[in-house]
Amino acid sequence: MQVRLQIQRSDPATEETRLQLYQLDQVRPAATLLDCLEQIKDEQDGTLAFRRSCREGICGSCAVRVDGKTALACRTPVAELVAGGRLPTIAPIGNLPVVRDLVVEMEPMWQKMRSVRPFLRPTSDAPDDGRETVVPPTLMAAVRKEALCINCGACVSECDVMSVSPEFLGPHALAKAWRLVGDPREEQNAPRLKELSGRHGIWECTRCYLCNERCPKGVDPRDAIAKLGAEAFVAGVVRDRGARHAKWFVTSARTTGWLRESELVVKTLNIAVLVTKIPLGLRLFRRGKAPLPLPRHKAADLAPARELRRIVAGQDRRGAQGIVQGERVLERIERVRVPEKPAPEVEDF
Amino acid sequence: MRAAIEAHDAGAEVALVSKLHPTRSHSGAARGGINAALGNAGEDSPEAHAADTVKGSDYLGDQDAIELFCNEAPGDIYQLERWGALFDRDAEGRLAQRPFGAAGAPRTVHAADVTGHVLLQLLYEQLLAREIRVYEEYFVWRLVIGEKGCEGVLAWDLARGGVKALAAKAVVLATGGSGRVYRGSTNAHACTADGMAMALRAGLPLEDLEFMQFHPTTLHPSGLLVTEAVRGEGGYLLNSGGARFMRHYAPEAMELASRDVVAHAEQTEIDEGRSIGGSLLLDLRHFGPEKMREHFHGTRDMALTYAGIDPLEQPLPVRPGAHYHMGGVATDLDGRTEVENVFAAGEVACVSLHGANRLGGNSLMETIVFGRRAGRAAAEEALKKSDRAALGPGAQVDGERELARLLERRKGERPRAIRDELGTSMNENFGVFREEGKMRRQLELLENLRERYEEVLVEDTGRVWNSDLTQVLELGFQLDLAVCMVSAGLERRESRGAHSRPADFPERDDQNFLKHSLVRWSKDWLDLSWKPVTITKWQPQKRTY
Repeated sequence: MQVRLQIQRSDPATEETRLQLYQLDQVRPAATLLDCLEQIKDEQDGTLAFRRSCREGICGSCAVRVDGKTALACRTPVAELVAGGRLPTIAPIGNLPVVRDLVVEMEPMWQKMRSVRPFLRPTSDAPDDGRETVVPPTLMAAVRKEALCINCGACVSECDVMSVSPEFLGPHALAKAWRLVGDPREEQNAPRLKELSGRHGIWECTRCYLCNERCPKGVDPRDAIAKLGAEAFVAGVVRDRGARHAKWFVTSARTTGWLRESELVVKTLNIAVLVTKIPLGLRLFRRGKAPLPLPRHKAADLAPARELRRIVAGQDRRGAQGIVQGERVLERIERVRVPEKPAPEVEDF
Repeated sequence: MRAAIEAHDAGAEVALVSKLHPTRSHSGAARGGINAALGNAGEDSPEAHAADTVKGSDYLGDQDAIELFCNEAPGDIYQLERWGALFDRDAEGRLAQRPFGAAGAPRTVHAADVTGHVLLQLLYEQLLAREIRVYEEYFVWRLVIGEKGCEGVLAWDLARGGVKALAAKAVVLATGGSGRVYRGSTNAHACTADGMAMALRAGLPLEDLEFMQFHPTTLHPSGLLVTEAVRGEGGYLLNSGGARFMRHYAPEAMELASRDVVAHAEQTEIDEGRSIGGSLLLDLRHFGPEKMREHFHGTRDMALTYAGIDPLEQPLPVRPGAHYHMGGVATDLDGRTEVENVFAAGEVACVSLHGANRLGGNSLMETIVFGRRAGRAAAEEALKKSDRAALGPGAQVDGERELARLLERRKGERPRAIRDELGTSMNENFGVFREEGKMRRQLELLENLRERYEEVLVEDTGRVWNSDLTQVLELGFQLDLAVCMVSAGLERRESRGAHSRPADFPERDDQNFLKHSLVRWSKDWLDLSWKPVTITKWQPQKRTY
């Protein structure tokens, strides 16, 4: 199989960036993108820089952007990329400074991970018998997906918020935070949730879901952020603007069945900020973009909204348990249904 | 990381130096689990664990090390759990344990099929909790040895370029294995024998290097590992005639015999023409979607991605592949080596816990038990010394000169062909089965490769992120180690565990070879010697499964 790739090269000395075309004439049909990068380095260009180690999607070294979408090179079959004579462009992941070619500086990501103090801090004594803490398996399952994170940075690369607000903690650090907050053995959740709800924390996420979409391990960081938000509510950590914003959605739906946008602004912002927004509000109003607060924006029939609320409340799922999780990584596995078969009898040659 | 944590807790000032970010280490690829006789899933005891390990080692494991290991393992598991390890639980909420190959009881604690990954993240968390300094992407390539033993290491700083000399009162080698000397290997690109070769060049003896474990189920064609846990949970092996051939090799344990036994059975089937293009079939179809999803979705995902096969629909093509090096830097029970201030733990070391064959689930546990012990001993050693850690004059200049020679060479052969020939020939001549003629041929071939390596060309002359340079250094490590492996293999004229010579020495020979090989490098001369095996309770017996 022939493979042509366009790779973004950057020279740390000159800080110049260019696209370089490589052509491989003999590539195994089952080769991955990483295999091709290795082959280029071995056969054509020893100066090409990229990270790699395990080649099986567990070390998290080789995330790159393929035609703009972040993926692990070692889990990307190259045949699909070049099908129909396409010429894919391979570039370093986004939202982190480039060191050289496909290698980026990961330190900003690690720094954010450290800032959520990503380690369990049990305060109570170990069990008397010196053995393990007894925890029901159903409770442990709460952090199962987040524990799959391999720190590849795909979610950081894809995060829209980080591209405009570099200080945002981001999907990677927040998924790690849930890994701890959601752990039934962790005993310091209230202070954690308070910190995480602050500026550049959980409420800064705009819910674009690209982190869920592109995470190669199915960690679903956006769901982790939602779970943190829900637990913040349970813990009574609701003073942040983002929390007030979320709260108003519920209140509005409960009282009038619809979202009352003009009131939403007032309920979300504090008075000092609100005053500064008055000129903006007036401009919006002049252009017909802001509805009048009165008469109230109200559904003709409130019953369906109330019924929905009743059904959800009746399930008694508090906090994170109420977050419906995407199970993208499992989808592929769900697709195939095969009846159980007994093992065949042992037979002779 | 376990050693760094323990040394820190013992009061030493610690830095961790790694050519990869710590969570990218290959321990993360360990899937199936970690062994400790907790007795949560049935009757078990450290003594039973030890007996299985001794038998698994084909009686070459040192029994004092094995007993200590099995006794301390449960305490370490409880500590890991306390730190936050996400092990799977049974219905009562205790740690679940699954059966593994050659184990008399369900003893393997696990986290689905990502146990190594979960533990690696956990140790990194604990490292962060202690704010231990990490020099990441520092490529260490030399131990600096002075008059009073080891004074530190030399590293190439990948991100910024340049030689960094790191002085230390004690150094713990925890650099992992060497599987990449083979073409067909489950190991990561990074597993290039760095620590073993550095120790060798520093004059340390390497023990039992002839014993490379071939894992029975590596997925063709990628060589990636299919966890032993799938056999523990009922997966079985078929030959081209659709027969469960293990019946003829291990009638009792069948697919759950020890890894050497299963790998040898597979190789025999392949050599006798009962394979499908060199592969056997691993059948998991009867698991059904529920079990597959709960326990092995990683495995299924891997099969779909790298072989295009859904294990619920078709059996997987598997064959033996280089997986784990039982041999390594010779250490005592505290990771101490022959050279002052140098310690070693994990796959790079040889305590000897695994002897001639390692049991699945014992290697993760080894990194924890012996990592802890080495970290403690290294800290005590360092704290005894009152003077500042310092490197002798000239160490840095020496290192710079060595790398400059490589970087300034303008003509020569690129490393690729040398690396490929090394890997292919090791598979061919020093694979699952060995024989005198092939081993001799391999030594000649390695001599030739080593000569060519003297003129190897580093094409990248830049300083920032020059992985071309570090890969050439890795190839040098691998070539040195391969020579030692084959030399030790030639001298062991018997079949024991992973070292199998069906053509010339098909039987185990306790009379002459119940002993460890030691290879030493002195002035370009290979020196081979032997040391006795420590036996406490278990006398060698015929080994059947």
